[in-house]
Amino acid sequence: MLLYDARNYKMRSDAVDTAHVLVIGSGGAGVRAAIEAAGYGETMLVSKTLTGKGGCTTMAEGGYNAVLREADSCEIHFEDTLKGGAYLNDPDLVQILVKEAPERIRDLLEWGAVFDVTDGCEVAQRPFGGQRFPRTCYAGDRTGHEMMATLVDRLHNTDVLIENEVTIISLLHDGPRVSGAIGLDRQGEIRVMLADAAVLATGGGTRIYDISTNSSSGTGDGYAMGYNAGAELIDMEQIQFHPTGAVFPYDARGRLVTEAVRGEGGILKNVDGERFMNRYDPERMELSTRDVVSRAIATEILEGKGTGNGGVYLDVTHLPRSQIENKLPVMLEQFLKFGVDIRDLPMEVAPTAHHIMGGLRITMNAETTLPCLYACGEVSGGVHGANRLGGNALAETQVFGKRAGESAGKVKERKKAADQKGIENVEKHIDRFLQGDVPPSTIIRSLQTAMWEGAGIFRKGPDLEKTLGIIRHLQTLRPKAASAANLAECCILQNMLTTASLVVRSALLRPESRGAHVRRDISQNWDAEHSPYGHTFLSLSGEGIEMRGGT
Amino acid sequence: MKEISVRVFRFDPSCDTTPHFQNYLVRVNEGARVLHVMHAIHEDHDPSLSYRHCCGSGQCGSCAVRVNGQPVLACMEEARDEMTIEPLELPIRKDLIVDMEPYLDRISSLVPGAEFRMPTLDEVDAMKPLRSCIECLACVSSCPALKVIDFAGPAAMREDMRLTLDPRDTCDRITEAVSEGLFTCTSCQACWKVCPKNIEIPGKAIEKLRALANKKGLTLPRHQAVEKLVRETGRSVDRLGTTFLEQVPEVLEPYGEVKGTVGFFVGCMYNMRLTQTALDAMEVLRRNGIRIIIPREQVCCGSPLIRTGQIEFLDTLKSRNINAFAFRAIDTVMTMCAGCGSTLKNDYRTPFRVMDINEVLLRFDIEPPARLPIKATYHDPCHLLRGQGIRTPPRELISKVVDLVEMPSICCGSGGGVRSGVPDEAAALAENRRKEIEKTGADIVISSCPFCEFHIREHTDRPVKNVTTVLLEGYREKDRKNAHMETC
Repeated sequence: MLLYDARNYKMRSDAVDTAHVLVIGSGGAGVRAAIEAAGYGETMLVSKTLTGKGGCTTMAEGGYNAVLREADSCEIHFEDTLKGGAYLNDPDLVQILVKEAPERIRDLLEWGAVFDVTDGCEVAQRPFGGQRFPRTCYAGDRTGHEMMATLVDRLHNTDVLIENEVTIISLLHDGPRVSGAIGLDRQGEIRVMLADAAVLATGGGTRIYDISTNSSSGTGDGYAMGYNAGAELIDMEQIQFHPTGAVFPYDARGRLVTEAVRGEGGILKNVDGERFMNRYDPERMELSTRDVVSRAIATEILEGKGTGNGGVYLDVTHLPRSQIENKLPVMLEQFLKFGVDIRDLPMEVAPTAHHIMGGLRITMNAETTLPCLYACGEVSGGVHGANRLGGNALAETQVFGKRAGESAGKVKERKKAADQKGIENVEKHIDRFLQGDVPPSTIIRSLQTAMWEGAGIFRKGPDLEKTLGIIRHLQTLRPKAASAANLAECCILQNMLTTASLVVRSALLRPESRGAHVRRDISQNWDAEHSPYGHTFLSLSGEGIEMRGGT
Repeated sequence: MKEISVRVFRFDPSCDTTPHFQNYLVRVNEGARVLHVMHAIHEDHDPSLSYRHCCGSGQCGSCAVRVNGQPVLACMEEARDEMTIEPLELPIRKDLIVDMEPYLDRISSLVPGAEFRMPTLDEVDAMKPLRSCIECLACVSSCPALKVIDFAGPAAMREDMRLTLDPRDTCDRITEAVSEGLFTCTSCQACWKVCPKNIEIPGKAIEKLRALANKKGLTLPRHQAVEKLVRETGRSVDRLGTTFLEQVPEVLEPYGEVKGTVGFFVGCMYNMRLTQTALDAMEVLRRNGIRIIIPREQVCCGSPLIRTGQIEFLDTLKSRNINAFAFRAIDTVMTMCAGCGSTLKNDYRTPFRVMDINEVLLRFDIEPPARLPIKATYHDPCHLLRGQGIRTPPRELISKVVDLVEMPSICCGSGGGVRSGVPDEAAALAENRRKEIEKTGADIVISSCPFCEFHIREHTDRPVKNVTTVLLEGYREKDRKNAHMETC
C-alpha cells in the first residue's frame, strides 16, 4: 500500500498495519476488549504507554462492585447505582453492569487474579459509599493493579498484536464507517492502522483540571477523537470530584486517597476536630456518595475550617495498626514516602478531579453512534449517570470491555482501504506544530487552572462562559513541537482543549444541579428523581439536552 | 520554589555515538520528586529529553531510573540538589528510556486448568507479598548475575514462585525456574533492597524455589556434595589442616582490663580456610579489652544449605549452635563472617544478641592504631551491607589505619552457592570486581567476609585483607614505632 509522506514529500509503503479489530487503549477496558476480540480474528492493541502500565485502572485502589452473596441482589445494586447516579444513568446499561459484573470477576479469578478472600474461600467484600450492601471486592488497596496484572497475563496468552508507545491521534473513515486510526510512534513517525472495527478504550480525561487523580495518560483523547470523528457524546458536564485527594507536597496534589480508607473506617474531621459529615449526611456519614462528600469537604474548606495545607483531616489512627498495614498498604507506603505515618497521624485531603461520567453514547453492545466504532470504559457515557459509585468503574471496564470486544469481533470483514484524504489532512495538521510558537505545557497549565476555577465542583453560568472563552482562546494559539518526537504532545494538548470545551459546553446545557454537576446560579424545585431533564448531548451536528418522557 | 542542579544522562542513538551527561539548573516546588525535575527540564530547558512516566503515584512502574546510582521510582523519590539521573542498567533506547519489553516478556503467565478452584485465605496470604510487584525492573537493573549470564531475572523468579503457590496454575514452574537460571542468583539481595514494594525476592522466592527444586531432585551436584559434607562433618568445607578451633582455648582473655565479653561464632571458612585471619581478629579484640568465649561444639550456621534450598538438616544445625552459646549464658554472640552473621540475624531465632565484629569493635571505642601509608579500597560483602545493613562501621575502622578509596558496591560472585555451582559466572563477576578495583588505584583490597576475601583473592593481583588484619598491622606499626622511640 502506498502512502503519501508529507514531511518528506514522497510516497511510502511500509507504515500501514491491518487487523480485524483495532483496540485503542491498554487499561482495564481495552485489554479486556482485546482478549475478547482475539476470539474472532486478528486483533491489534495500541497503547500510548507500555501495555499494563498506562491508564488509570492500574491506579484504582478500592475495588470492584459485584453481587456475590445471597443476602445481596442485582436489584439492590441496580437501585444503588441509579440513586447514586441521580437517575441520569441509562437503566439498560446499569442492568447489564449489575448482572454481568459477577460473571466478569469470575473471569478474572479464573485467569489468576489474587483478590482478598474470606475464611470461607469467598471473595472478600468491603462497604463503599452509597451502597446498601458491602459488595466491593478488593485486593488490598491495589485492586486495579491486581486486575491489570491478571489481564496482561491473560493477554499474553492470546494472539493479540501489541503496539506499545504509539499515540493514536485520529480515527479514519471509510464512508460512514470507522476504518482504523492514525498514530505517532515515539520518534514521531506516522503509523496507520486499518481495521474492520475499532474499539475506543482510551479512558478518562480529568488531567484537564489542575488537581486530578488521573495518570498522565488521562488526557481525554478518546472523547476528542470520537467527537472529531462525528460520534455523539452525552453528559460530559458530569465530572466526579473524588472527595479525598492528597494536598501536599504541591506536585503530588490530587493524588488519590482511596475510598477504601473510609470503607475501612476512616473518619473525616475539620480543623476544629469536628466530624462534619454529621451535618451533611448524618445517616451515611463518610460513606455517603462521592458528590455529597466532595461538596461537604469543599464547603468546610471554603468556610475556613480547612487545615493549613488547604484540606481536611482523614483519620485512621483509631484503627488497629495491622488493619492499616494489611488493608491499606499502598496508602501507608505512599504517605510514608511523603513523611506522614498514617498509623499515627491523620491524612490531609481535599477533592480532586477523578472521573468523567459522560462520554461517547453507547448501546448495550457498546456500539457508538458511528458504524464500526465501539467504546467501553471511562470514555463511554451513560452507565454512571451524574455520579459514579466507587467500585463501579472497575466493574464497568470488564463488563463493557468484553461486550465491546465481542461486538467489534463480530463485525464483518471487508476490504480495507486507507482513507488517503484523511491521512493527508492529519499529516498537514500535525506538520503545522513544527512551526508553532507556544510550548504545549504553557497552554496546558492555563487550561488546567481555568477549568479548576471555572468548571469545578460549584459552577455558575457566567464562570462557565468565561472558561469557554479561555478555552477558545487557547485553541487559537499555535503549540510548538520542538521535533517530530514532540508532535504527539501537541496532539494530546489539542485533545485536552477539545475535551474541556465539551465539558464546559455540556455544563452550560444543563440548567439544573444534578449529581456531580452543581449550578449555583440556578434554583430548582425538583429532586434528581423528578428532574425534567435527561442527557445532555453533543456532536459535530448539534447539541442539546433531552427532556424526560420522550419530549 | 527552589532551584536545584542536576546531572542527566543523555543518549540519542540516532545521532550520538556515545552517551554524555548534561547539567541543568531547574526550578521546582518544595517537596518535588525526581519526576518533576524531569518535567521541568522537558518543559523549560530541553523538550528533547525522553523519559517514561504514567501514574505519578508509584503504582505503574514506568518511571524507574537510577539516582546517584540507585534504582528508584522517579515519581516517588524526592529530588535532591546535585543528583545524577541515569537510566536503569538495561539496553538504552533514548536518554532515560530503556528497553523493558524483553524482560517483561520473560515473566510467566498463569495457565489455568479445566477445573477452577478458588485459592484459600492461606494461599492468598502466601501469594500477596509476591503479587505487589509493579514490574518497574529496578531489580533487573541491579541484578549482578544478569550482567554476566543469561537469567530470566528476579522479577520473573518472583512470579514463578507466586505461580507455584497458586492452585489455579497447571505448569511446573520449578523446572521452568531452574532452566531459566534459578541457580545463577548469588543471593546478594540487591533486588530486594532496591524494590520500591520491598518484595523479598531472594528469601521469599529464590530460596523457596530452590527448596522445591531440591524436593524434585534438581539441586546441583556440587551443592549436594556440600550438603553431604555438612551432614557428615558439621562443616561446609573439608579439612585441610589445623583448624582455628584447634588452635585456641575456649576462653581468650584480653591483654588488659576486661571491658566486655562476647561469644564467637567462628563459621566454617574462618575455622578451616582463613584461620590466620581469625587469629588476627582475636589479637585485635584482646588488645581492646574484649574477652572471647569460643564454644567447641559450634557447627556450620547452615547458610550454604539455606541459600541452595537444602533445608532438611537445618533445624539440627540451628539447635546445636543455639545450645552451644545459650548453655554458656552468653548474651552477645559475635560473628566475623558476613554470611554467618546474616544467617544468625535473619534466619535464626536466638536467645542472644548477634553482632558483627565491625559493630563490636566500634562499640568498644578501640585504641587508635598507627596510620599506614597505604591506599585501600573496600569491598562491601553482600551479606554485611544488605544482609545486615552494615555500611559505615567497617569504613570507620578502615579509615583509622589507611586511606580509603570507594568503589561501587557490587556482588563479587562468591555467594548463593554460585562459586561452587556455576563457577564460570562466579569468575565473571569477580572479573567485574577486579576491573573496579583496578580503577580505584588502591594498593590493597579490604573486606569483611571470608567468602569474598577468598574469592576476590583469586581474581586480583592486589593483596586482599580483612578489616581486622589491617587494624592489627596498624597496631604492630604503632608498637614498632613506640619500641623505636624507647630505644632512641
